Amino acid sequence: MSGFHDYDPGYEFLAQHNETEGKQKRKQLWKVFWILLVITLVELVIGFYNSSFSPALLKVIFIGGTLFKAYYIVAEFMHLGHENKGLKITILVPYIVFILYLIWICLVEGVYSKVYRSFINKAPQETSAEHGGHH
Amino acid sequence: MSSHSNTLSTKELWNGGNVSPFGATYGKLMMWFFLISDALTFSSLLTAYGFMRHKFDDIWPKAENVFTHFPFYEGHIPLAYVGLMTFILIMSSVTMVLAVEAGQRKNQKQVAFWMLMTIIGGAMFVGSQAWEWFHFIVGTPEGHLREVMVDGKIVLQKVYGATMTNNEYSQSPLFAQFFFGITGFHGFHVFSGVIINLIIYINVLKGTYEKRGHYEMVEKVGLYWHFVDLVWVFVFTFFYLL
Repeated sequence: MSGFHDYDPGYEFLAQHNETEGKQKRKQLWKVFWILLVITLVELVIGFYNSSFSPALLKVIFIGGTLFKAYYIVAEFMHLGHENKGLKITILVPYIVFILYLIWICLVEGVYSKVYRSFINKAPQETSAEHGGHH
Repeated sequence: MSSHSNTLSTKELWNGGNVSPFGATYGKLMMWFFLISDALTFSSLLTAYGFMRHKFDDIWPKAENVFTHFPFYEGHIPLAYVGLMTFILIMSSVTMVLAVEAGQRKNQKQVAFWMLMTIIGGAMFVGSQAWEWFHFIVGTPEGHLREVMVDGKIVLQKVYGATMTNNEYSQSPLFAQFFFGITGFHGFHVFSGVIINLIIYINVLKGTYEKRGHYEMVEKVGLYWHFVDLVWVFVFTFFYLL
C-alpha cells in the first residue's frame, strides 16, 4: 500500500507526448512564429514611414503590437497559457499590478519633471550670464 | 463517518491530495520565479528610461537618425539592421521551442539539432549587437557640435560617436547611457543564455537526459531563452520604434 507521500505525479513525464501530438504542437508553434514575424514587419514598415502618423497613434500601434507579441511569447513559447490556473495567477498578477503602478508613477513624474525643467531653465539664462561675467 | 475511515478520497485532502497546486516541477517553478525577478529588473530599467525620455523629450534624439547603418551597404536605411536582429532572435526562440517539443518526444537527435540552431542564432544576435555598439561608439565621420565640459568649463566642441559623458546624437548623455545600460544588460543575458544553452547541448549529446528519462532541463533553459526574446521585444519597441 502506498503511503501518503509516495505519490509523485512526475510532471516532467506528464509533459511527454507522441508523434501525432507533436505534429499538432509544431503546427501551432510555427503559426505563432508567423504571427510574431508579421507584427514585427508591420511595425518596421510603420516605423519607416512614421512621419505620416500622429505620435499618439504610433504609440498605440507600437505598444499594442508589443503587448500582442508578448502575449504570444509568454502563452505559447513559454507555455504559460497551458499551465495550471494557480501558476498563471501567481506569475502574472503580482507582476502586472506592480508594473502598472511603476509605469504610471514614472511617466507622470517624468512629464512633471519636464514642466519643472522648462520652468527653471528660464532662470539659469540670467545666472549663466552672471556666471560668465566672473571669468 | 467518512473522515474516520482508513481510505481518504482526494477531494477530502488538503490541496486535493499530494498533488502540487501548480502542477509543475520544482525546477520549472523556480525558473519562473527567477524570471519574474529578472522581469522586474528590466521593467525598472525601461521605466527609468521612460521617465528620462519624457523629461527630456524636446532634446531626445530619434532612433531612426542614430541607427542607420547596415553591413556592406553605404547608405541611410533606418531600422533595417535592428529589424534583422529582431528576426534572428525570434527565429532562435522558435528553434528553442522546437527543441523543447522534440525533447517531449524523447528524440535526442532532433533536440541536439534545434539546440545547436538556437546557439547559432544567439551567437549571431550577440555579434550583431557588438556591431551595433561599434557603430554607435565610433559615430559618423561628420560628428556634431556639442557643449562639452572641459576643465570645469563648458565649451563647444565637435563630438564623434558616443561615450558615457558625451555623444553626437544629442546634447544629453542620457540617450547613450540608457543605450549602453539596457542593451548591454540584455546582451549580457543573451550571452549567458548562449553559454547555458551550450552546456545543455553538450549534456544532450552525452545522453544525460536520455538516461534521466526526460528532457525537462531543455524546457527550463528554454524558458530563460524565451524570456530574453520577450525582453528584446520591449527594448526594440521603446528604444528603436517609439
